[in-house]
Amino acid sequence: MILSNPLLHTLAQSGFPQPMHSATLAHYLVVSAVMFILGLIGFLTRRNLIIMFLCTELMFQAAGIAFVAFGRFHLDFSGQTFVIFVLTVAAAEAAMALALVVLLFRRKETLDASEWKDLRG
Amino acid sequence: MPSGVGSAGFHLDQIINPSILYLLCVLGAAGVCLALPRKGVSPQVFGGLLAGAIGGLAMLFLGLKNPEHLPNIYFYVFSVVALGAALRVITHPRPVYAALYFVLTVVATSGLFLILSAEFMAFALVIVYAGAILITYLFVIMLATQSPGEEQVEVLADYDAAAREPIGASVVGFLLLAILTTMMFRGPTGWSPPPSVSERDTLAAMPRKIEAALRNAGTLPGGSRIRTHDETGHAMISEDGLTVRVITPDGERSIALPDGLTPTNADYLGFNLMRDHPGSIEIAGIILLMAMLGAVVLSRKQVQIDEEEKMRHAARLARGEEAGGSA
Amino acid sequence: MHDGAAGVTAAGAAASGPWYAMLIPILPLAGFVLCALCAVFRVRSKLPAWITVGLLAASFAVTAAMYSTVQGTQITTVFQWITWSWGSGPGQSFTANFAFYLDGLTCLWMLFVTGLATLIALYASEYMSHEAGAGYCRFFAAFCLFVFSMACLVMADNLVLLYLGWEGVGLCSYLLIGYFYKKPSAVAAAKKAFIVNRIGDLFLALGIMLCFVHFGTVEYKEMFAQAAVYTKAVSAGEIEKVPLVAQLIAVLLMIGAFGKSAQLPLYVWLPDAMEGPTPVSALIHAATMVTAGVFLIARTYPLFLISEYAMPTVAWVGALTALLAATIGMAQFDIKRIMAYSTVSQLGYMFAGLGVLTSVGAAAHVFTHAVFKAMLFLACGAVMHGFAGQLDLRKLSGVGSMPGWRIVNVAMLVGSLNLIGFPVITAGYWSKDTILGEAFANPSMQGVAWILLLTAGLTAYYTFRVYFRVFVGPQSYEPGEELHAQHDDKHQGHADHGHAHDQHAHGEKSGASHGTHDFHPHPPGWAINTVLVILTIAAFAAFWPIKGTSHPSHLGYIGQMMDASSAAYDPHHDAAMYQFAAHKPAPGEPRSHATFFGFDAHKAMMWVSGFVALIGMAIAYFLHYAGRTSATHSRADSWLPAAGPLANWAKHKWYVDEFYDFLIRKPLLVLAHLFHIIDQYLVDGIVDALGWLPKGIGRLIRPSQSGELHGYAFGMAGGLAVILLIVFLVTN
Repeated sequence: MILSNPLLHTLAQSGFPQPMHSATLAHYLVVSAVMFILGLIGFLTRRNLIIMFLCTELMFQAAGIAFVAFGRFHLDFSGQTFVIFVLTVAAAEAAMALALVVLLFRRKETLDASEWKDLRG
Repeated sequence: MPSGVGSAGFHLDQIINPSILYLLCVLGAAGVCLALPRKGVSPQVFGGLLAGAIGGLAMLFLGLKNPEHLPNIYFYVFSVVALGAALRVITHPRPVYAALYFVLTVVATSGLFLILSAEFMAFALVIVYAGAILITYLFVIMLATQSPGEEQVEVLADYDAAAREPIGASVVGFLLLAILTTMMFRGPTGWSPPPSVSERDTLAAMPRKIEAALRNAGTLPGGSRIRTHDETGHAMISEDGLTVRVITPDGERSIALPDGLTPTNADYLGFNLMRDHPGSIEIAGIILLMAMLGAVVLSRKQVQIDEEEKMRHAARLARGEEAGGSA
Repeated sequence: MHDGAAGVTAAGAAASGPWYAMLIPILPLAGFVLCALCAVFRVRSKLPAWITVGLLAASFAVTAAMYSTVQGTQITTVFQWITWSWGSGPGQSFTANFAFYLDGLTCLWMLFVTGLATLIALYASEYMSHEAGAGYCRFFAAFCLFVFSMACLVMADNLVLLYLGWEGVGLCSYLLIGYFYKKPSAVAAAKKAFIVNRIGDLFLALGIMLCFVHFGTVEYKEMFAQAAVYTKAVSAGEIEKVPLVAQLIAVLLMIGAFGKSAQLPLYVWLPDAMEGPTPVSALIHAATMVTAGVFLIARTYPLFLISEYAMPTVAWVGALTALLAATIGMAQFDIKRIMAYSTVSQLGYMFAGLGVLTSVGAAAHVFTHAVFKAMLFLACGAVMHGFAGQLDLRKLSGVGSMPGWRIVNVAMLVGSLNLIGFPVITAGYWSKDTILGEAFANPSMQGVAWILLLTAGLTAYYTFRVYFRVFVGPQSYEPGEELHAQHDDKHQGHADHGHAHDQHAHGEKSGASHGTHDFHPHPPGWAINTVLVILTIAAFAAFWPIKGTSHPSHLGYIGQMMDASSAAYDPHHDAAMYQFAAHKPAPGEPRSHATFFGFDAHKAMMWVSGFVALIGMAIAYFLHYAGRTSATHSRADSWLPAAGPLANWAKHKWYVDEFYDFLIRKPLLVLAHLFHIIDQYLVDGIVDALGWLPKGIGRLIRPSQSGELHGYAFGMAGGLAVILLIVFLVTN
């Protein structure tokens, strides 16, 4: 039944990765979700600015897993392409954020995010 | 799974009992909560174990209900490592260790990418993340840490020693997880793969690769070259994808393609990236450039350049040289 | 509405009047503009006064020309003012043109308005000379504006234009009473005048509206035509009564007239209005503006004639006002205030005259009163002017025999004689006599008649009380307060009649003076004297053409003028539509006449009223002149206790102001406080609450904006979780 699609048949013959069952996809998505939530919890609980940024990277990572898994499931490479962009943005963000962290650290000699409350209403 | 791939999707209870899922979420929350750093006696190890056990159990439950679609055993290995390392990233009180655990997460994730036959992404991930970004992180951690006195044992900063609101964060996080998974599994109908990629077309777009393969196989006569389409420049591969037109000194003819000549993951990704999203690539490049400039500008130390001070400094230098010379 | 405008055909077929009639209001308006320009250019000379005098004299000349040419009723349309229609049917359009209704009534009123205004402006040119500068310009600008408004009021062709003039004179009155705006009492008096007038004006406005609702027009011509239809219908027995709504119009207009003409119960503003400069008192609050109420009733006489309630009310209110004001006037010491009460009293006479159906008598009395009362005020003003604001009759004596005061003395005497109605030789006698005679001739008005007769006696007494105390007798005076004010502070507050006394305070000792200051009364100058002479001649001469001709109640040329006006009504020959219930004659029959103890009322009154006036005068002579040796004390003072509390009550104006204060002002004040509380706590509370609500919400949720990164992150994550949970629960 899976092979009823002629294109998929061709792909299967030529060694293209076999289509993935959605149950398998679910495993990846669960991993992705758990990792994302871990990143989120880390972001919420840790007070060190650097670790908070690390946690955002963790969330990027989780998103990347979901992208690639979906791309694999759909046999579409846009998923991976998107991860490349995510990577790019993550790198840029890391560069900027870390520069800012250094700057902030110079100001107050601390990395505690609670020290910065200038947005207080 | 009689309904087969995707077309109808599936429901959550076909994979896992919802109540078990929610129980796992509650336990996971408790585990993470315990594992987070806190002042005084820390049940971190216990929490970590609990959280890990929960993760494993979740995977088990996920797998057991669909034994025929169980993922590769490596999937379990990598995901357990990735999630365990991720847990350590957020629970380890010392930033350096957290960053190193993050590297472990990245490596495990690239393992998962490999299983998903996304080799290129796996490599890129290791290179960019583990190789570049994380190094930056480590440098910044070193830059932004107060150096302890010589005699003193290094003490944890207050803000590293204790997490804030671990319970609240865990509740929110795992509530979100519960809902996310629930929604994900019942998700939109028809996760069917669209027939968007054709191996023949991708291969045809790479006449040089075909030529190289033919030469390696030794089936290409000397002085011959691949016949390309006048407009697109593509190689001309037969409908069944078995032969390709080449121009030999004798004339044009079809030659069978060598066995196993398929586009690689990088080929596919390259086409997708360069052919389908060229503008985005440019924009990504600009973003990176800007980020680099920004980082340089931001982190540059503002030095007050005082002309007089400069002169004095120069004079001091000159005297020092003299003094050095005389000594 | 049958039969069109048959009743007023003669008047209804109004020919268009002479074009130059429009100059009468325009010239004062030009004067107003020029005086305002003088103020703008900071003119410090007497230029505004000469502008005013010149233009008002021109206006008077035009009025005289108009009087000589206008026959019957003529209408001069200046421009289309308000023309508005919302349908083609009757009563579906509204027209009020800037047009003038020229008849005998208009001519009479405009003659004395412009004539007196000219003379009083001349008087004021001297009287106000110490105000030269901005105040002078302001005074004459308001003066001109007043004459313009009065001209609009009198000459109006419709009630709306009349209302414009009505409010205009009210405004000018307010401005001029409050001329000395730094003086709290003047400001209070101005406000009082304005507010009390507003009460009357409200009813006038309601009357005009009702007029339009009922008649579908506010133009006199149409209104009178329709009123004539009612008259005919009633006298022909076609309808039993005029509809109540039509009668109500007159009642509403009447209350408006009461406000402007200071009748009970709205008279209280007029005595206080004497805070204004004396020329203002003379022109506005004695001669012209206060007669606007009389004019209104005379002008809309046809409407009053069809109202069986309005006319008796007018008569009774007029009589009672006359009596009340006379009794108050008897007990006052401020001569200007006595004149003010006298004015109220005489206005009561005029209303009574209208009420007893002698519009001729009322109009004649308005005319003669305007002349002699203006003269009296101007004479009092001259005294006040010369004695530094002294108005207390206990502190002045023998003024008439002082050098330079002869003309004032004569003017005062002639004015007083006119006011009391000295028999035969005074115009006041003839006009008052006509009213009295007509009152006694009216069978249902005997009460009114006796009140008026009593009032005549009282008038004679209080008028000559002033004359005998101030102008004759031993010479003695005390300067008024303004002298002290001048010495205390030369620059501050020229209170009322403050004059630049430095010009005559140089030395000459006054033997008669009680004061320690070197005060010397300064007699009036040429302008004041000229005006007084002219007025004296006018008042004295006025009786010749007025005195009875064909009929005792037909007052010569005034009778002719009134016959050719909307107020034309002959109580002896016209088949009276309106009668008092008890004496209603059969349709078509003339009215029954009452007699005075068997004599013809008119003829009897010629004797009786003169006799009463002489008695009052004699009593004043006995009480205030005979044997008086000082200014302060007379025989009356020793006899005063015999009057018991009455004298004290009269002195306190019968406590009417206090009564109003208690009955109206206090409850209103309490109500105002109540509203203030409601406003402060309820209305403001709601508004404040609207302001506090966002503020409170902001205060409530402000802690969420802690500025802490974690807080915001928590908000995002938790919010997302909650939203997803809701979506999940809803879709499940």
